[in-house]
Amino acid sequence: MSARVWLIFIIAALAPGQTTAPAILEAKCLACHGAAKMSDLDMRTRAAMLKGGTRGAALVPGKAGESLLYQAVRREGKLQMPPGSQPLTAEEIAIIGKWIDGGANMDSAAHQESNWWSFRPPKKPPIPNDETGWASNDLDRLLAAGLRKQGLRPAPPADKLTLLRRATFDLHGLPPAPEQIDAFGKDNAPGAWERLIDSLLASPAYGERWGRHWLDVVRYADTGGYETDVYFANAWRYRDYAIGSFNQDKPYNIFVQEQIAADEIWPDDLELEGSYELPERKRINLAKRIGTGLYTIGPMAAEYTFFGDQYRAEWQADAVETTGSAFLGLSFNCARCHDHKFDPIPQRDYYRLAAFFATSEDREVPIVSRMGIYEYTRYQTRLRIAEDLKAELARLEGEVRKRAASDRKNPQREDGPLPFTPEEKDRRETLLRKIGEAFYKAPKPYATANLLVPSERVHDTHVLVRGEWAQKSEKVTPGYPAVLNAGGAVEETQRRKALAQWITSADQPLLARVMVNRIWQGHFGQGLVATPNDFGRQGELPVHPELLDWLAVRFREEGYSIKQMHRLIMQSAAYRMSSMAVEANQKIDPRNQYFWRMNRRRLEAEAVRDAVLAASGTLNREAGGPAVVVPLSQEERLGMRDASQWPVSPDPAEHARRSVYLLVKRSFRLPMLEAFDAPDPAQSCARREEWTVAPQALALMNSAFTSTQADAMAASLRGLSPGEQVLQAFLRTLGRRPTEEERAKALAFVERNKLERFCLLLFNLSEFVYVD
Amino acid sequence: MSIDLNSRRAFLKGSGLGFGWMALQSLQAAARPAKRVIFLFMHGGPSHIETFDPKPLLNKLHGQPVPESFGDVQLQFSKFRESPILGCKRSFARHGKSGHEISDLFPHTARHADKLAVIRSMHHDGFTHTAALNWLNNGWPRLGRPSLGSWIVYGLGSESDSLPAFVVLLEGGIKSGPPVYSSGFLPAKYQGTVLRNGPAPVLNARRPVAMTEAEQRELFDTARWFNERHMEPRSDDTALAARIASYELAFRMQMAAPELADLSKETAATRALYGIDVEGTSDFGSRCLLARRLVERGVRFVQVWSGSTTGTSDWDGHKQCDTNHVQIAARVDKPVAGLLADLESRGLLKDTLVIWGGEFGRTPTSDGGMNGGGDSLGRDHNPYGFSIWMAGGGVRGGQLIGRTDEIGLRAVEHPVHVHDLHASILHMMGLDHEKLTYSFQGRDFRLTDVHGSTELARKLT
Repeated sequence: MSARVWLIFIIAALAPGQTTAPAILEAKCLACHGAAKMSDLDMRTRAAMLKGGTRGAALVPGKAGESLLYQAVRREGKLQMPPGSQPLTAEEIAIIGKWIDGGANMDSAAHQESNWWSFRPPKKPPIPNDETGWASNDLDRLLAAGLRKQGLRPAPPADKLTLLRRATFDLHGLPPAPEQIDAFGKDNAPGAWERLIDSLLASPAYGERWGRHWLDVVRYADTGGYETDVYFANAWRYRDYAIGSFNQDKPYNIFVQEQIAADEIWPDDLELEGSYELPERKRINLAKRIGTGLYTIGPMAAEYTFFGDQYRAEWQADAVETTGSAFLGLSFNCARCHDHKFDPIPQRDYYRLAAFFATSEDREVPIVSRMGIYEYTRYQTRLRIAEDLKAELARLEGEVRKRAASDRKNPQREDGPLPFTPEEKDRRETLLRKIGEAFYKAPKPYATANLLVPSERVHDTHVLVRGEWAQKSEKVTPGYPAVLNAGGAVEETQRRKALAQWITSADQPLLARVMVNRIWQGHFGQGLVATPNDFGRQGELPVHPELLDWLAVRFREEGYSIKQMHRLIMQSAAYRMSSMAVEANQKIDPRNQYFWRMNRRRLEAEAVRDAVLAASGTLNREAGGPAVVVPLSQEERLGMRDASQWPVSPDPAEHARRSVYLLVKRSFRLPMLEAFDAPDPAQSCARREEWTVAPQALALMNSAFTSTQADAMAASLRGLSPGEQVLQAFLRTLGRRPTEEERAKALAFVERNKLERFCLLLFNLSEFVYVD
Repeated sequence: MSIDLNSRRAFLKGSGLGFGWMALQSLQAAARPAKRVIFLFMHGGPSHIETFDPKPLLNKLHGQPVPESFGDVQLQFSKFRESPILGCKRSFARHGKSGHEISDLFPHTARHADKLAVIRSMHHDGFTHTAALNWLNNGWPRLGRPSLGSWIVYGLGSESDSLPAFVVLLEGGIKSGPPVYSSGFLPAKYQGTVLRNGPAPVLNARRPVAMTEAEQRELFDTARWFNERHMEPRSDDTALAARIASYELAFRMQMAAPELADLSKETAATRALYGIDVEGTSDFGSRCLLARRLVERGVRFVQVWSGSTTGTSDWDGHKQCDTNHVQIAARVDKPVAGLLADLESRGLLKDTLVIWGGEFGRTPTSDGGMNGGGDSLGRDHNPYGFSIWMAGGGVRGGQLIGRTDEIGLRAVEHPVHVHDLHASILHMMGLDHEKLTYSFQGRDFRLTDVHGSTELARKLT
């Protein structure tokens, strides 16, 4: 199921200058002494090497000189390995010798290193004093101390309207409405800022914004990708679950537990009951269990995942990699094929994690009452009528095709129209109408959801050589990465429960750190750790480690309330800094790595589209439901495999829904969103890119979308005086009033051109797509 | 190779369009003959057996089971060991001084036999379209990797200031959709830009119908006026300057596009060369001619597709493979020959690498119709041995490289894996496939993963 980027081969093993013995063995020995077991020797595990082959044990741990393996690679005796003209290099031989002397541990050497900063539990640092009086809270005091160390000083505060626009985009992904601008501008009472934050957090638009951030992290899509591009008809339930969880301020640890193991932690049966409504208890339970839908929406190469074990290997790989990236901020991908070259994650740990999912499977389950099912099944006869009519039509067309094929005089082109007689044509049309009617009367299928459920049997999990499903090596049982904190015992039938509890346990060093870093990134455009999905050795180090730890501890203390973290961050002086450059700081830290100012950010793809709709007054705020499919021009659709897999939503009002509700198709990204760096849902996206390319200008300037929206915006401003039109248009798009100079320029433009053009112009301004 | 990721990121972000700037010192391309590529992609998988790799034994064994000695392979639809051998109806003749054996599907291309280096020993393991399309285009069977064209323009940049560096000319839908020309984890600017046939080839590069050119210019100029005022106090932010520049590029693209697409300015002789005014060859011919116009204008990588999921057909001959190939080959043969002749006469062939091939070849056995879409005269997918050819860009024509076994099942002599092909293409363009890397998720990625040999390039040039 996984299409995540992982290695097909062992980078470590094949790159020159290899440094670990297991990698050398894998590259140079396993082709013969792996599954092939030449001379009955299997070198895939330490145990198998100790057992040895026809020549006896290959290894004597601690004693290289006495080990047959070492003698063979040194090519001193009769046995010379590897055979042929390419012996191991002196360096490689030395590595193997040292490795045997050190005990011949198959786990990578880095395994022992649990001292890495992110693997240690976060500790609350002492709060330094801030003598400048800049700080509003402890977050500021920690940041100020960190800035001082670098010789940096915090930038001055931003003005009120800049803050309003910043906060509204941050929490809603939408521009502030003119009424909000007016109200906030006038509110000079103490606590205005706090009230604004609270009201923004209380709106359902908040969950739509932050739910979308989460969907990036969990590689959300409505289809499986590849040629088949399976349509996940229930994926939207998970999307709505994520949005709802943010809106409810569901404690993050619970949110994580639900996604990994709601069914095992809060068990209930899925047996059908109820008359016309599902019993309350089941509704509540199902709402949690939809979280496990996370593991039912990954990329899936349906057309070449033929074998049960292959499907399971792919599916479990996706589960491990998504779990690692999203919840632990560790990329396990590399360890699918080999011991992680840089991180202390041996390959075995990867498969031990995979084993947590070996007792589960994806199942589509009804989520209606027992009677709800019968309402459908009792009228299935109507579907049968439709199918019978379809068969009749096929028979008719078959006859005509057969007749045409035997007509030598008028050879039938394969793609040409069939030569129906007038009677046949009538008959066909009647059938088509009847089919239509029959489908129209057919019962609506009952609602279902895709959930994780216990699988019929416990699947064995093996370490897979080079990650290939058929290359089974050592069998493993569920286990936690040894380098992290210890976890509890794993019950055979409740494996995911153990995993969820381990990931969310109080001594888990990563859970809170990784999430507060994501929240920070959502406000500052960059995390304190600049690589939010990689807290390992290949990732960046935190710029203010004490601040990150303090936030992580606070997060836990606040009961993992994400909304509390927004308040904490947004009420800080740090958040309210201006995004303008300060020359002295600029010299020391031009890229603002240390957060001496707010980062200017370009709107993400969805926010660009949503802002256009909001400014035009056309935005449809309806929430939730199946994925919306917007119309595409023939030009835009080019390259798509099959237009029938792009079923445009018939109600035009739907086309103005928020972008988070649009169909995410793995084999075809919406051109408008793609131009603005919408992520490829083949894998978890930790952070959006902000590239600047010409197709963005073309999309904003010339697309049917922006033209239509500009027209709508102009229409909504009709009847106002030109001056008022310019003012309102400015407020809606840029969140501020025009300066005198701008106003004059705008009025002159409107006079020469139409108001529509002016609205289009505003969509094309840097200020429209950037937030200070 | 070590490039400071952060400084490069900042650089990339700031530059916005940055044509030709990617030739960073550490990536400095070696001077090599191939400056650009035209990849003629035969979508669906053309049969090597019916085209460039004659297998007389198949006619002798027609209808019989595959001899035991050939073992078994995994196929998508049919079961190899249970499928009878399918003979080939094409006749082959030797062409040119080189004596390349080319089937009668390509009478026009055959006249250029001595320009072609035919590789009969291509192979990979992706027996489904998506895996195979991804292999050929992305060097990896799964989703998420940048395409060959993206890597090349990432490495070499563009020579055009008004056209994208990587252009894709489609006939219609692709079986696996746009990921085959996506930039994967490389910046979006390296993505293939799809151009359409007709007067508006670039998406959105046509001003709204109701707008005059002067009105649009005023719109651009007014936007610039506002954007410059916005940038003034933010002059440290290079992205804002890049954004302003990107509007100028967009305007130039929009101006250049109609001229580019206007094939009517070409002489009648040129149009005839590509078969543009003849129904069967008009579509592919127009795209081949457009490809020449693109490389002439400095576009680095052009991929021209034959066959689609939404058009007339593709090369996926599960059913009546021979008939299918007769029909579709007739649509591409003359245009391909026209392209080679035209490039040569304009002096472009010497530094334009032309590649012809599809995602895989086809089986020596009958498809049998296991999936409902095939029949006993069709052939299933065969990624284990298939043919492509290359010409121009320093390629020594007339060579034959590699061999498949007696039934055309597997590459057996000088096998060329897709990684080797990619490594060699990069090599011929002056790029070192081991050094052209991009750091993503904690790892330096390459087009060729950890594989690839440039031996093919050495043979070819």
